[in-house]
Amino acid sequence: MKQEWRKYLGLRAPRYTSYPSALHFDEQVSAEDYGARLGETALYEPLSLYIHVPFCKSLCWYCGCNMRVENDYGRALRYVDALRREIALAGKALSGAGRARSIHFGGGTPNFLKVEDLERVLDAIEAELGLTDSTSLAIELDPRLIRNGDIDRLAALGFGRMSLGVQDFDAGVQAAINRVQRFELVESAVGEMRRVGLTDISFDLLYGLPRQTLQSYKETLEETVALSPDRVAVFGYAHLPAALPNQRLIDEHSLPGAELRADLALLADEMLVAAGYVRIGFDHYAKRDNPLARAARTGRLRRNFQGFTDDLSETTIGFGASAISFVGEMYAQNAKTLGEYYACVEKGRMATSRGLVLSPRERVIASAIRTFLCRSEVDIRPLLAAFAPRDANSICANLDKLEVDGVIRWNEDIVTLAPGANILARVVAMALDPYEAAIGCEQGRALAQAI
Amino acid sequence: METPVKEKARICPDAGRPANCDVCEVRANSICSDLGPREFVQVEKTMSRRHVAKNKALMVEGEPNDSLYVVVDGCFRLSKMLEDGRRQVTGFLFKGDFAGVRATEASAYTAEALNDGLVCYFPHSFLDEIAIDAPGVKDRLIRHGQTEYHKAQDHIVLLGKKNAEERVVSFIAMINERIGFDDGNGARRVPLPMPRQDIADYLGLRLETLSRTLTSLRESGRLLDVTRHSVTVPAA
Repeated sequence: MKQEWRKYLGLRAPRYTSYPSALHFDEQVSAEDYGARLGETALYEPLSLYIHVPFCKSLCWYCGCNMRVENDYGRALRYVDALRREIALAGKALSGAGRARSIHFGGGTPNFLKVEDLERVLDAIEAELGLTDSTSLAIELDPRLIRNGDIDRLAALGFGRMSLGVQDFDAGVQAAINRVQRFELVESAVGEMRRVGLTDISFDLLYGLPRQTLQSYKETLEETVALSPDRVAVFGYAHLPAALPNQRLIDEHSLPGAELRADLALLADEMLVAAGYVRIGFDHYAKRDNPLARAARTGRLRRNFQGFTDDLSETTIGFGASAISFVGEMYAQNAKTLGEYYACVEKGRMATSRGLVLSPRERVIASAIRTFLCRSEVDIRPLLAAFAPRDANSICANLDKLEVDGVIRWNEDIVTLAPGANILARVVAMALDPYEAAIGCEQGRALAQAI
Repeated sequence: METPVKEKARICPDAGRPANCDVCEVRANSICSDLGPREFVQVEKTMSRRHVAKNKALMVEGEPNDSLYVVVDGCFRLSKMLEDGRRQVTGFLFKGDFAGVRATEASAYTAEALNDGLVCYFPHSFLDEIAIDAPGVKDRLIRHGQTEYHKAQDHIVLLGKKNAEERVVSFIAMINERIGFDDGNGARRVPLPMPRQDIADYLGLRLETLSRTLTSLRESGRLLDVTRHSVTVPAA
């Protein structure tokens, strides 16, 4: 990595899975507002559905998701019933409009639920929103919870993409984050998936975890490449113990410093590219023939709450506690705790608790950031035009610095990411957004490090 | 589900212009029935017929169209490509239905023949011309048939129904109304000229759910028979 880039490594930057980020949501969006927006959906509008399953069998100390450890399956059944009711409420608001084009089960741990209960959720979607054989289904899986026959049954239900939370294969690292899963467990899950004909398997890896060394991470990456997943997402661990109590269980002294963190990220980048994976955005890698790589080649890559995606739906409907929807320039987030979520849904009300409606200027910023992250290039004319000269100048000043350091090229009004600078893309995105840059300094602790 | 756009149907030279519209069986209950004698003579003069072979397209989404089509025989599938590149079945045209209600540079949908079909077609330029002498002639032409706008209405009503069984039963009732016939044993035979996958796609159901629903309707006696190309329903 270039010496001039090192100084950007410690910067904290939003992940920009949404713009503005969920930190900016407030109570101004109500369940009624959200329902009314849903009612404006066009007849054949493609919908991307997200189902949040907040339960886990055990606590991973690094986790930053909305989850709870649950030992009583009966409580999960209550949740499945609530999901079905919430889906019916959305169905009523949509009254036949919109077509479900993709469904993503995320968590927590979606396979905490038995396959028969996941099927009950799909049945509700079919009855209330419509579901066809061309709807793509994806699910995140904890390899430790995959039961005998699960993969066959999920494939039979139509799940064509399965994502495994691998994080790291090193036993010492696994112990330090309380997620112990042997290599053989992941290997056998992948074997099962290949046996049923799955062609879209993805792994999530983390860098910046306690006890990681260049040698241990090299081995994790070698083992990853040996299992040959179709996609790999490499996320930086965000250590935010002030906000996330479970992260206080992690021994801070064993966390890699900024230099090592950057080296780990670069090692992953180097090894995955050498193994034939294509860089997608700033944290995804995919085999050349994977739909994600094809989307990137043809300029159809998008970014949604799950990260980089080939899903072209403009509308996302989220179900479950803390799930976020994006409908007609409105973000609407459900209540985070199960208690609040049940209190609404079981009484026949949407569980929206917070949200945000994009202002015209925010729309311009969102579009510039999205375009830059997905295409590594953006025309900043509309962005600069949306601001008063003072703010426009501060954007230009930010970009100037990045250009001097060789992170971007800047010709006329076109800003292009420099080759090899993929992992700094978030820093550039932040430069396009003067508000977030300011807030990022104040609330640095709530944002993850860019690398 | 992606289907290659079919080669656009060519006008069959043998079909040509009809010698006499009196033989037209669609006419009595829909097309042309509201035209006055003078209008009718004019319309008949400039109307042409076209055979459309099975799987050929009558209209192709995104391509110009300058004619109003009336289905005289056969069944057509309407579909459109969605923004995400997938195809959505949006409706079916039967005898007496219309397509191409407005002249356009880019059709909003594709219409393909599900079996060998026959259509009458009228150039919009001609209809506009005779409208000077016969105001409202276009409206009277299509008063009794269903246009693509009716189809969208039907579709949202079907998709708004809250379970697979209701959607399938309503769909069969809709088809029965259009092309069902007495089977000679006091029941109604309802032809289903479209593939099952098209029905499932249209109704927002998985193929397996559609098959299971048809089976359960037969087992409960609400359908007397289910074959690949038709179902039989008890007389109302």
